[in-house]
Amino acid sequence: MSRLRNIAVVAFSQAPIVARDEHRVASEILYPEVRSVLDQCDVERAAIDYQVAGSADYIDGRPFGFVTALDVMGSWPAKQDLHLEMDAAFAAYYAWVRMQAGDCDTALVCGYGKNSEGEPERVLNLELDPYYQAPLGLGPSATAALQASAYMARSGATDRDLAEIAARNRAAGAKNACAQLREAVPAATLAATPWVVEPLRRGYLPPYGDSAVCLVLAAEGKAERMCDRPAWVHGVDQRIEMQTLGARDVSRSAGARLAAERALAMAGLASANEVDVIELCATNPAEELILCEAIGVDAAAATPKKNPSGGPLCGHPLMMTGLIRLGEAFRQLSGRAGTHAVPNVRRVIAHAAQGHCLQQNLFFVLGSERRWT
Amino acid sequence: MSEPPKEPVKYVEANVRLPYHYVAGDSRARYLLALKDKKILGSKCSTTGKVFVPPLVASPESFAPCEELVQVADRGVVTTFCIVRIPVIGRNVELPYVAASVALDGADISIFALVQECKPEDVRMGMRVEAVWKPDGERQGDHEDILYFRPTGEPDAPLASFLNRL
Repeated sequence: MSRLRNIAVVAFSQAPIVARDEHRVASEILYPEVRSVLDQCDVERAAIDYQVAGSADYIDGRPFGFVTALDVMGSWPAKQDLHLEMDAAFAAYYAWVRMQAGDCDTALVCGYGKNSEGEPERVLNLELDPYYQAPLGLGPSATAALQASAYMARSGATDRDLAEIAARNRAAGAKNACAQLREAVPAATLAATPWVVEPLRRGYLPPYGDSAVCLVLAAEGKAERMCDRPAWVHGVDQRIEMQTLGARDVSRSAGARLAAERALAMAGLASANEVDVIELCATNPAEELILCEAIGVDAAAATPKKNPSGGPLCGHPLMMTGLIRLGEAFRQLSGRAGTHAVPNVRRVIAHAAQGHCLQQNLFFVLGSERRWT
Repeated sequence: MSEPPKEPVKYVEANVRLPYHYVAGDSRARYLLALKDKKILGSKCSTTGKVFVPPLVASPESFAPCEELVQVADRGVVTTFCIVRIPVIGRNVELPYVAASVALDGADISIFALVQECKPEDVRMGMRVEAVWKPDGERQGDHEDILYFRPTGEPDAPLASFLNRL
């Protein structure tokens, strides 16, 4: 791997996830988070060279919905800007790529959108093709259940295995002040919750929530001045798979396997087991098992530690759930994870996914030291 | 298989329905509620003192918070306008009509407004206008509470007084 620019996450802020924010519109939730990251870095908006956001117009309920956020992102004097109809983690990846060009040193990455104002299950149904899939009424819970079934049939994983994973995430989420579900629930209780779409139970699927998140990336030379303990990007890779669900083996995630392999190679690591913490964008326990298999870690092992934040199972604000994983990686590496901190963290994997059945996967490998010298 | 079917299926109908339930937000809710009392509220930038109508949570210009709500006048000046000669979806207004930017007295940015009770060709930049409200008891706390703006007959405002309030 040739030498790339060392770029780090230097600040992260997240509005605690709630089922429904009755008092603020999406941009009003975002504004204090943008102010917070600038304050964390002790800079004003003029210090930001580039800005990029991830959100979905169908969640905002209006075309070009993203423009409403520009007023609260500090977009003046006129800024270089990019918007993605994707989870904001992918926006962070684009910012990282943009910064590799060398002519911009800092980037603001925002994710926002009020899931509570629309119907996310209907919106995600429309993500499927309008000829065969969407008219069937397939929603994200149904496609996730198809994937879970396929995985369980191949691997022999049981309902009890899913319950154990959900319970571990719920116990972790109880310590995370930003999580929406903040009480530990035993596996037996979760295994007694009703089916949403068999084999997925209510206790295995997160509610959609409202939040807004903001993160700052900075290149070396500036990162050290903006943060006492930057979380350096060591490796990153993003892969997309086919839209047609029947055309891929949904019991596996080929995209996650390849993206993780390439991100680890960029980071100079032979295995995902060389990191201390992994934040997976798994929105149900079967996805967590599929992802662990894809990246080559034992889902049941204590190390690397999986989702100390409680993961998406304790809070799933669409379009932000992935960026929160990257933010959690920063929190763990920079000593800002508070009550859910894992001791002695030197390397973290942050994963983001988008689309039905893990269609798109993005992996960041981050470390407490610079990658390239 | 190489021959297209004699009676091809030409279209697939997709009747997409996506309901939304927007929260007004606390500051917008105060703004809308005030319209019932024929009051127009703006928010004041904590750094520059500029007043934004309807209220904004932060100044897009200075990026400072705008938490203080202040009342502005229900009259002001036409800063720019156009004469619309095509029907607009969702509004039943006789053509042609004037759509104008109106900077209310006390506000630093304009709102969009309909100008009536005068000929379109008589409207000009700098013209003084006032709000015509729905009668008492009929106002709902929404933008329909102001029916339109009409000329006040006051002398025109000089260009320099509104050029930076477009």
